[in-house]
Amino acid sequence: MTDRARRRLVLWILAAALPVAMAAAVALGSVPLPFGPVVASLAAAAGLPSWGAPLDAPGVAILWSVRLPRVLLAALVGGGLAVVGTTLQSVFRNPMADSGLLGVGAGAALGAVLAVRMGWAAHVFLALPLAAFVGAMAAIVIVYLLAHAGGRPSLQGLLLTGIAVSALASAGTSVLLVATEEFRVKTVLFWLAGGLEGRSWAHVKLAAVFILAGVALLGLLSRPLDVLSLGADEAASLGLPVHATRLTIFALAALVAGAATSVAGSVPFVGLMAPHALRPHVGPLARHLIPASFLGGAILVVLADLGARTLSDRLDLPLGSLTAFVGAPYFLFALRASEGRS
Amino acid sequence: MTAVLEARAVRVSRGRAAVLHGVTLSLAAGEALALVGPNAAGKSTLLRTLAGLLRPTRGVVLLEKRPLQAWARGDMARAVALVTSEDEGPGTLAVEDRVALGRYPHRGPLRPLLEGDRAAVRRALQQTGIEPLARRRLGTLSAGERQLATLARGLAQEPRVLLLDEPAAHLDIGHQLRLFRVLDDVRTCGMAVLAVVHDLQRAAAWADRIVLLAGGRIVAEGAPDAVLASEQCARAFDVAVHGHPVPGLAHPLYSFEEPGE
Repeated sequence: MTDRARRRLVLWILAAALPVAMAAAVALGSVPLPFGPVVASLAAAAGLPSWGAPLDAPGVAILWSVRLPRVLLAALVGGGLAVVGTTLQSVFRNPMADSGLLGVGAGAALGAVLAVRMGWAAHVFLALPLAAFVGAMAAIVIVYLLAHAGGRPSLQGLLLTGIAVSALASAGTSVLLVATEEFRVKTVLFWLAGGLEGRSWAHVKLAAVFILAGVALLGLLSRPLDVLSLGADEAASLGLPVHATRLTIFALAALVAGAATSVAGSVPFVGLMAPHALRPHVGPLARHLIPASFLGGAILVVLADLGARTLSDRLDLPLGSLTAFVGAPYFLFALRASEGRS
Repeated sequence: MTAVLEARAVRVSRGRAAVLHGVTLSLAAGEALALVGPNAAGKSTLLRTLAGLLRPTRGVVLLEKRPLQAWARGDMARAVALVTSEDEGPGTLAVEDRVALGRYPHRGPLRPLLEGDRAAVRRALQQTGIEPLARRRLGTLSAGERQLATLARGLAQEPRVLLLDEPAAHLDIGHQLRLFRVLDDVRTCGMAVLAVVHDLQRAAAWADRIVLLAGGRIVAEGAPDAVLASEQCARAFDVAVHGHPVPGLAHPLYSFEEPGE
């Protein structure tokens, strides 16, 4: 099979798998909704001719106010984080770069916790995602400046810098946590674990606007991203304004990561796993890898959130822990493979 | 001959130490110029300065009579291509996509690949002889093949000036001959070619003119055999150079010895 045929096949499979995964996630849960009526209700809502019986009234309530916003959010968060990972990997020219490992998640969480602690989130519209965005942006700029201080950073230098910045942000988060009134602690813990419990349509709208806009703009920067992946010298000699392009990409990546973190808390490793698994099949060009990663990341988090809701009868598992349980071994495995090659 | 690219009294400093001390150099359309010199002479620095990647602390680089700073980024990238032996592209990138990125200065971020772009990419692949590798991924190529793919990217850029940093560094003798034949082809079409070359024999055989750089200064410049036979050359490399004329060859064969015997 040629590379092009393989790429098309993978993209079609992903495009077909996402709706299936989302439908399964909508139907399954502590109160299972029958699959046929769910589809009938959705079709009716979309103005399509409905066939079969729609859901009963409690079913409709669960579908529209609980399941659907949650599943849509999972898809948006997963897709957004995967695209952030993809773009950061091009800029850092390192397939192991990820928002979580580079301190972006920790920075966004710090910003969000600060907004909760200071009471901004309760009073100012959009204060929470804005603070998460500022935290994410600050972390990524700091990692970039520190890691690039001595020329092109090695993989170890990059990861260690990310770990140090993450630790610093987490330390700040811990201080805020200790200084937070008890009734707010639960809200703060949410940021540390990551999860989608009790998310509403307001969150969906917020995430949709920022994540889809950020992803679309990053998609428009596909070719500059490809040029950047050739290295700063070659990019500059091809006429690309290297620093301005990098900063634009960081701002957009921080926007998407900040928005995702503000609605879901920290969901680590998605940005690493999705592009890493897909790159061998769709190739490294951003115009192919960005859509593929978006779909792959969306599927990943939709399924992870389904697992978070259904694996235990008694409680919702934290989504972020679940992606870490899968992602950390994956990362270690991929790291070993890449060290073996070089 | 009129100069396409010209350095005038260019000085480049890194920190407090000067790497280039007032280098003056000109390159004409259709000229093949080899830049030679011992390690740490400042060859790569000079090349990067000529390509506009480094700004001279003093002096000026002129491209078609205009200072580099006065050129818009895109215009500059359509006029000057830089090919180095450091290839850091992702290993999963296909050769033809790698070469097509050389069209970036012509396409910008959004314009699709037009017929003219495709023709330029095809021509570059043909000239470098890597057409059969077009669909292969960079990670599956030998170092020499990757080097040719980088050169093909530079050719796809369709520049008026081609700057190369040790283009033959990883190539076996067959690929070397092909590479310098390609450079000869493009300069006969009017492209100005300046290459940093390590192999003095190869430099003499290929170039119209050799510039010898040592300690950040040009110490000799002129016809290849005259430069190689010069005392400056022997001193710069700290060797004794012997030219052995061979009937039927355009240039002598050179042998080198440690000095003092």
